[in-house]
Amino acid sequence: MDSSLNKSDQIVETHNFVNTNLDLFENILNSLESVSAEAKSFLKEKVSSEGKVSNQLLEKHQHEGHGYAWFETYRIALRETLNWFKTLKKLDKSTKLESGILIFSFAEYLCQMRSGIMMSQTEIIRPENLGISNQSFSFCDSPDVAKLVKLGLSETVKLEIVESLENGFFPNLGLNDETLEMIQDQFKKFTDEEIVPNANEWHLKDDLIPDEVLKKMSELGVFSIAIPENYGGLGMGKVAMCVVTEELSRGFLAAGSLGTRAEIAGELIRLGGTEEQKNKYLPEIASGNILTTAVFTEPNTGSDLGNLSTRAQLDGDSYIINGNKTWITHGARSDLMTVLARTDSNQKGYRGLSMFLVDKPRGNCENPFPMEGMSGSEIEVLGYRGMKEYEIALDSIKVSKKNLLGEEEGKGFKQLMETFESARIQTAARAVGVSQNALELGLQYAKDRSQFGKSIIKFSRIYNKLAWMVMETTVARQITLFSAREKDNDIRCDIEAGMAKLLAARVAWSSADSALQIHGGNGYALEYPVSRVLCDSRILNIFEGAAEIQAQIVIKGLLGK
Amino acid sequence: MKALVCVKRVIDYNVKIRVKTDKSGVETENVKMSMNPFDEIAVEEAVKLKEKGVIDEIIVLSIGAETSQETIRTGLAMGGDRGVLVKTNGQEIDPLNVGKIIKYIFDKESPDMVILGKQAIDDDCNQTGQILSSLLDCHQATFASKVEVNDDKTINVTREVDGGLETIKISIPCVITTDLRLNEPRYASLPNIMKAKQKKIDILDINDLNIDIKRRVETIEVSEPPERKPGVIVNDVDSLIDKLKNEANVI
Ligand SMILES: Cc1cc2nc3c(=O)[nH]c(=O)nc-3n(C[C@H](O)[C@H](O)[C@H](O)COP(=O)(O)OP(=O)(O)OC[C@H]3O[C@@H](n4cnc5c(N)ncnc54)[C@H](O)[C@@H]3O)c2cc1C
Repeated sequence: MDSSLNKSDQIVETHNFVNTNLDLFENILNSLESVSAEAKSFLKEKVSSEGKVSNQLLEKHQHEGHGYAWFETYRIALRETLNWFKTLKKLDKSTKLESGILIFSFAEYLCQMRSGIMMSQTEIIRPENLGISNQSFSFCDSPDVAKLVKLGLSETVKLEIVESLENGFFPNLGLNDETLEMIQDQFKKFTDEEIVPNANEWHLKDDLIPDEVLKKMSELGVFSIAIPENYGGLGMGKVAMCVVTEELSRGFLAAGSLGTRAEIAGELIRLGGTEEQKNKYLPEIASGNILTTAVFTEPNTGSDLGNLSTRAQLDGDSYIINGNKTWITHGARSDLMTVLARTDSNQKGYRGLSMFLVDKPRGNCENPFPMEGMSGSEIEVLGYRGMKEYEIALDSIKVSKKNLLGEEEGKGFKQLMETFESARIQTAARAVGVSQNALELGLQYAKDRSQFGKSIIKFSRIYNKLAWMVMETTVARQITLFSAREKDNDIRCDIEAGMAKLLAARVAWSSADSALQIHGGNGYALEYPVSRVLCDSRILNIFEGAAEIQAQIVIKGLLGK
Repeated sequence: MKALVCVKRVIDYNVKIRVKTDKSGVETENVKMSMNPFDEIAVEEAVKLKEKGVIDEIIVLSIGAETSQETIRTGLAMGGDRGVLVKTNGQEIDPLNVGKIIKYIFDKESPDMVILGKQAIDDDCNQTGQILSSLLDCHQATFASKVEVNDDKTINVTREVDGGLETIKISIPCVITTDLRLNEPRYASLPNIMKAKQKKIDILDINDLNIDIKRRVETIEVSEPPERKPGVIVNDVDSLIDKLKNEANVI
């Protein structure tokens, strides 16, 4: 960049650079693909024995394996960010804000890939760990790429991005569809009016989201989005689900997570259920009459779900279920449990597991489990409130054979895995919503707060944070929407969905942390919503596949390809 | 009965307005647009009357660029039955000309009532409803905060006026303009958004209507409001009074 240029010239230069050099971005992606291939063969070599990927070796080289998952996550995320921009440009909808975000994302992520990617705050994957030589990244030293990096990392670009935000301009979501935009608009309004003003109070009082709000959400169709039309749903697909989920989560994570339960149960039944089970349950889930709860985790089995020990024993025409479950979200105020239990005690791993649809009377806070044989206690939590989590005991719960999902034993784990794609996409969308919430709170506070005689947003340490937040939120959103589109087009996207979840969860946490930092001391006060958002964002790296497990899933998928 | 509801596409109220560099108007390119909030209230009122069985059909009309179809579609998702877009070619339309265009559609559709927002939040004209009623030579009730249709099809409209509320009785056909407190517009639900996709929007080109839309008003310049000066914190009531008296000259 010519240092004699003034700020607005620099912005014009950057904007023009992006718009006239889209091929360069494309070339970078091509180069990264070769680097990735190099890393992959290095890794394959390390973790294979007799030509096959060995789980033992993969575990031995976990840091490198998971690191490669992150490397690929970055590459795919950049690819989708470029696609986002190119589509907007074609539609004549791109502005300086979008081109700024694009070049910033490429410059920043490229530098990280070349020097070290933060898998978490304390674990960095270096190119050498992946067998990537200096030479492989030499394409970064070409004048064009060097210029891209320099422009993309410049303070001017970040300042320009944040000035747009200050004026109420947020980056285009890239929906490019009138119906989706209308959905976004309506749910934004709903969230701003019905959720945002109450979320902090619900959180602080540790209340359930009120029944009236649930009713409104049912009426708006939140629970019917992904359920097929012939079963009383709207059959709208995953992109629509992402749009709704992001908006609701932007107000309150639990609001965006109510739909997750409908999504998991709905997918389980849609994909694995008998016709009778579909007809019985899907319309009721779609209408919101039946609230569902996912009952999988146990005190001794979380990530290693395949080893769970809750038993379901056949007794005549029924199964008798016994065992302890934990971390059951919305366990009390729900009408249907999807319980994963072992039907075959001779089969140790996942093969002996089956999924049950267990009806239960709806409980409330005073009487959470009004059912014989079911008891439990609430787990007090940092955040993610609004539905409540429980540890529960199932003591001789009798379930008809008809309530075995698909009326087939031993398929439980496979049935659950089939829902993972959707659940991960939905969780990624929740994380994007939380990140957006953090961004908006941080932005508002930075505008309002003055120190040393000026609004703190004018300090580069503050606007740099905001620019980073909006850049990464956009990147995470685009990889999430990409997975959703693939899923809607019936293209397998388990790997990309895992990447989206992996990245979006990290982004949500770092955005929340930065937004809190911008608040200074007030960020630490319960009264300020950002303190809640920090607590809420923390869960996203734990459930629906903890970050380590998610990386493991991604790497296994990549090596299997 | 049949209702014609008019909706205008305006810059979303959350967006900070930016004036074009040549001061000819405000920047609308790549700016988020929404239905004028008062028009949302108009749509809501019509849908409520339909739910009560008073109205059988709601036509949602917008005058504007091609993209105003999206605004009409929102009205249809809220419960309108079909849409009409009078497509302009980017030109500004004065309230009088808007009135004439609505009258054209009125003559074609013969609705029993036209419901529109009391004003649009972009130009704040607050004229269209009044102009329309004189063009149609029919009753009008402006700033409605309550609308009740009687059995004999007369309508009682409560209006917000200085110093309180006034209730008037008007007969159809009529023009009603909506005030903020008339109702709370609903959110379009997902099923209704999906249904709205199938609803029909007729598109008419403004040039085919044979209406003189020459502007009577010329915009000379649009400028930003002056920047707000920072406030001061006073130490006590006495210094406050002193400042109000001697600096602000308000007491
Ligand atoms: C708020 C909340 C709500 C929840 N809601 C539900 C619900 O509704 N239904 C339900 O069934 N469950 C629910 N869960 C449970 C959740 O799915 C589990 O917490 C999650 O699967 C992790 O399991 P764990 O807690 O037992 O951790 P562990 O499996 O014990 O893992 C502990 C740590 O070790 C890491 N780790 C584990 N194995 C490996 C490995 N092989 N390599 C590297 N690292 C590893 C993990 O990533 C993690 O960081 C919820 C949890 C929380 C906190």
